Amino acid sequence: MSDSEIIYLDHAAATPMDQRVMLAMQPFLSNDFYNPSSPYAPAVEIRRKLENARHRLAVCFGGKADEVVITAGATESIALAMTAAQGGHVVTSAIEHEAVLANARQYSHTIVPVGKCGIVSVSDIAAAITPKTTLVSIALANSELGTIQPLSDIARVVEKVRRERLERHDSTPIWLHTDASQGVGQLDISVARLGVDMLSLNAGKIYGPKQVGLLWRRGMICLQPVILGGGQEMGLRSGTENVAGVIGFATALELATAHRKSEVARLSMLRDQLEKSLMNHFPDMTVNGNAKKRLAGHLHVSFPGIDAERLVFMLESKGVLVATGSACAANKQTGSATLKAIGLEEDERNGSLRFSLGRLNDEENSKRAAQYIVAVVSQEYERVRHA
Amino acid sequence: MARVFVGMSGGVDSSVAAALLKDQGHHVVGVYMKNWSQDLPGMRCPWAEDLADAKRVAVGLGIDFQVFDFEKEYREKVVQYMIDEYEAGRTPNPDIMCNQEVKFKLFLEAALEQGAEMIATGHYAKVEREELAQGARLMRAVDSEKDQTYFLYRVTAEALTKTLFPLGEYTKQQVREIAKEKGLFTAHKKESMGVCFVGEVGMREFLNQFVEAFPGDIIDKQTGKALGRHDGALFYTLGQRHGLDIGGGLPYYVVGKDMQANQVFVSTNLNDAAMWPNELSLGSVHWIHNPPQSHENLTVRLRHRGELLPVANLAMGSDTTMLSLDKPERAVASGQSAVIYRGDEVLGGGIVV
Repeated sequence: MSDSEIIYLDHAAATPMDQRVMLAMQPFLSNDFYNPSSPYAPAVEIRRKLENARHRLAVCFGGKADEVVITAGATESIALAMTAAQGGHVVTSAIEHEAVLANARQYSHTIVPVGKCGIVSVSDIAAAITPKTTLVSIALANSELGTIQPLSDIARVVEKVRRERLERHDSTPIWLHTDASQGVGQLDISVARLGVDMLSLNAGKIYGPKQVGLLWRRGMICLQPVILGGGQEMGLRSGTENVAGVIGFATALELATAHRKSEVARLSMLRDQLEKSLMNHFPDMTVNGNAKKRLAGHLHVSFPGIDAERLVFMLESKGVLVATGSACAANKQTGSATLKAIGLEEDERNGSLRFSLGRLNDEENSKRAAQYIVAVVSQEYERVRHA
Repeated sequence: MARVFVGMSGGVDSSVAAALLKDQGHHVVGVYMKNWSQDLPGMRCPWAEDLADAKRVAVGLGIDFQVFDFEKEYREKVVQYMIDEYEAGRTPNPDIMCNQEVKFKLFLEAALEQGAEMIATGHYAKVEREELAQGARLMRAVDSEKDQTYFLYRVTAEALTKTLFPLGEYTKQQVREIAKEKGLFTAHKKESMGVCFVGEVGMREFLNQFVEAFPGDIIDKQTGKALGRHDGALFYTLGQRHGLDIGGGLPYYVVGKDMQANQVFVSTNLNDAAMWPNELSLGSVHWIHNPPQSHENLTVRLRHRGELLPVANLAMGSDTTMLSLDKPERAVASGQSAVIYRGDEVLGGGIVV
């Protein structure tokens, strides 16, 4: 199995760095290495480029550069965003990433259940908001199912609560945070259109470097730094700036934004073809989540009665790399909390595969992948029948 | 052909064992025994990767695969035994206990319950079943370098009758070649060393998590003088040279311990009598079949891959058995096992008191 034969269908897990991103980063890994906080002219020049990159990032989602805090990835951005709860009450959903859930558990919180379609109900969110609620956190798109959440509707609910509080002279703030690291590149992430107050992103999912992320937050939001020290990033995230990472991130986000519409059209066509050919062969297969409101590159299916981890290994030996939500070695046999939360039965969870398409896929290799998947699933159904 | 449940650890040996059984036409089910999964400071437990590797191989062979969870029992029967023994000042062998309590007991029982007729493991050992009214005999493996019968002497005859060791006739070299030929994922995996989950270097760190150790004196046995301090007598083993932290001059060796007084005795005298016993008192003696009638043609092995030493006498008492050697053997710590062979057959053995 050589690299050239690999068909990668797991873009939701990680993406390869774009050549243009790598080129943009390169000078800052060698010649332009200066600490942006140093006083001499070459370092000041680095500071200027860093701030310019911050501006370029902010432009991509319609924010202001001063409202952007650079972090070491979305997990850290989320941890920082969650400090806006300030001892109040947090509302989030049962299908959030563990980064959100683990932080929510630090506060008084309500976890709103989610139905089988994998989309958070706006009225359930509204019902979960109490007079003490200070933070609502809902991901823009679910990382496993690819389902797109009704962020702007939730934003309207939060805005209504805010207005009501204002009217009764209640100064308790309420903010809406979204982790958009799964949606970016495929969805509009304009903060004005989404109506959010905070937005977490990372570079590693959009063909940029890993361990670089950002938190955008409205200027008036009070956050508590998670990492203390030299006071960089307006005191919200100490540590010498990852200049190369930020430059790479800005380039990656610009590219993702520029190609978003054409990429969405291309990926949804490939995804639909893949879905159709699997459906034709396996009428028992179920498509999880919501067929309409999902990311263009996402396809989440279940083959009930099959151990999907076996499929992962069988496909791997053909060079096809996919993810599973089954209780497998990769998640230390815990299984996917999201699939449990939306009420999938055990055999549906254990038979689940996630395909997430991206730049490494084209018509030819996704067709070939479909053939391999059909072959492998048929083979495994056959084996189970004879066991 | 039989329905065989084979223990698969994610290593090359058990992978090849499963492959050979399948080639022989058995209906094979691969089983990963989850015995330990806890990460400890400075020691990441790779169980999930091992499980994935085992399953990869099983899937590649097209055989069923299951996970048997023995974590609770392993902790009670193996880890606790190991901790208790160290605390009592002895040097236990957890692998022997793991075979006795987990692999050839719990695993066997669970497999039989699920319809297995036989179990198998990737141990280098042989079972002989022919011409034997009393059951199966445990024999040394063809590869004398890899032979693992030292770890298996406490397995019962009943368990052996239901056990296959597919690697007994192969050398490690051959096993690696088979793995490569068959394209098994684990063909190039590095050998795991020492106690399955601790590794040889990690024993002290491991014990530190579970026992309370107190500093005490290191005493020169010849002069009676304190030479320095140790951080817990239980960490020291007879014959040990390294890690004494009392540098300078001739090397010191551990020649004894007083657990009550928390003292470690050392000596520069390599000929110290405590280091060279020629008579060993064995407890918890286990014979796979009947005890040997005479000591003639018996040999004993005092450590894994240790030399087979002639037995000069074997005097069986009610509690302990006295084993005499032809000539003294270096540094036999209490807690170690003495495994007794006649030719290639493992008869049994006991634990040095």
